[in-house]
Amino acid sequence: MGAPYVGLIGWPYGRCMYDIATDHAPAIGAAILLLLFLWVFFGGLRLVARRGASWATRAVDAFDRTSALTKLAAVLMLLSGTIHLALVPGHEGITGILFVIDGLGFIGLGLAVFITNWWRRPAIVWLTTTIAAYLVWVVAGWETPDQVGIACKLIELVALGMVLRVNGGIGGAWPRRLWRATAFPLAVSVTTLGIWIGGLAHPDALHAHAGALLQPVGAVAKPEQRAAAARLLADTKTSLTRYQDPAAAIAAGYKARPVSNADPLLHFQNQANAHAILDPNRPQALVYARTATGLRLVGAMYQMPAVGQWGPDPGGPLTQWHQHEGICFSPLGIEFSFETPFWTCPVGSTSITTPPMLHVWIIDNGKNGPFAADLDKTVQHELTGRS
Amino acid sequence: MKQTPSTSSAFEIAGVLVVVQASLSLVAGLSALPFAIVEPGFRVLGVATIATAIGMYWLARNLRRGRRWAWRWLVTVEVVSLAMTCLLALLPIGALRGPVPLLVNVAIPLSVLVLLASRSGDRPIPAGPAHRWSDPGRAA
Repeated sequence: MGAPYVGLIGWPYGRCMYDIATDHAPAIGAAILLLLFLWVFFGGLRLVARRGASWATRAVDAFDRTSALTKLAAVLMLLSGTIHLALVPGHEGITGILFVIDGLGFIGLGLAVFITNWWRRPAIVWLTTTIAAYLVWVVAGWETPDQVGIACKLIELVALGMVLRVNGGIGGAWPRRLWRATAFPLAVSVTTLGIWIGGLAHPDALHAHAGALLQPVGAVAKPEQRAAAARLLADTKTSLTRYQDPAAAIAAGYKARPVSNADPLLHFQNQANAHAILDPNRPQALVYARTATGLRLVGAMYQMPAVGQWGPDPGGPLTQWHQHEGICFSPLGIEFSFETPFWTCPVGSTSITTPPMLHVWIIDNGKNGPFAADLDKTVQHELTGRS
Repeated sequence: MKQTPSTSSAFEIAGVLVVVQASLSLVAGLSALPFAIVEPGFRVLGVATIATAIGMYWLARNLRRGRRWAWRWLVTVEVVSLAMTCLLALLPIGALRGPVPLLVNVAIPLSVLVLLASRSGDRPIPAGPAHRWSDPGRAA
């Protein structure tokens, strides 16, 4: 579908790696409305039953006799169904039709819980098929994973867990027991992997290399923007000549940021410059490459004081800032991995978002150019022998 | 209307939610392992996360079997988890943004705690003989 990543701007959302697509936002409202409706509906039903209406009494009795686990599974399926139906206006063609079928199916199953005994197996099939279809759509690039889609899959996974436990039984032969123990973790793992692959394999215009969100900018640089970008590059080069020797940088207050030995680049940061805004005389960090002959200054990194605060981009699309998101940061060291689409990190680390940054490479950065988020892989390999 | 027998309980639901949490932890631990190739520190974190996930599966299993010590451990784990989430939410690091982190890091742990607190509710079906709500410490 290629849903645009426009999302909701401002706290608490801002932009993030998995934000909320504008055509998906109504689904959140629909889900909240459904929960309110169910609360009012069952309250009203009990009121009518107390006044002696036999049909209401039967309905309330059936509801009360249903186990809590089953009731919750029903509510979760109703939620998923409502979300799917609320998403129909933003999805055309086959996806829209499938959303209608899926939504009605979930609502039917959610209601069937209270009136039949045959709902469990169809619910397992429906939930599994829906999750699998979403993964196919995401991996194929027909749908962009956003927080509404991921939250919906989480709801469906929890519903699946509930449905699997209903009358799940205990005991049985070992293959059955093994399957019962591993089926759900396997479903969660495959779902996570699928969303991850889809998100990383099909980044849109505002999502660059893994974990980086790009500043929204115009498509083409104007002549004055090209001139401003050239000025920024020249000013940065002039300013950085005094820091060719890392000892000079340290003397000026820069400190090497802890980094893995495997990382070919070292960032020297200066906290005293934390509040300077794109000042070539006071860059927040200097970037050195680990070469065979020692550290070599390759660029500067400008950084804004706060998360979500994009910096001035004098060069328009040429000087596009980026912000790293979804990084699992360990305070035990500067170790990183990427958080899962379900916003989880390994124990001992936490998800962080860095304030926006702009690199200015003072060496020839190949096809990436002087303001790219990353050093060109070929250039980096030639410099450091590592990629 | 067809009646469905009431075979589950608050603890049964809590057990399922803990399994969801454990599965999410397991995936986080497994996802750290590729990074462990270049980052030795992540080997420790990845393995610790997988061990935590296995521990949570074990606690969920024993909660469903009515073990008192599992209840205590889970209350501790969920309280610590929520406290850490609150602490991280106060820091300007963008740890909680959007419905998914709110569901995973706030709604699920809070729901588990509320369900665990409803001890007077109907109990799980006994899975085995004579060890429902047994406390190894007390038994000793």
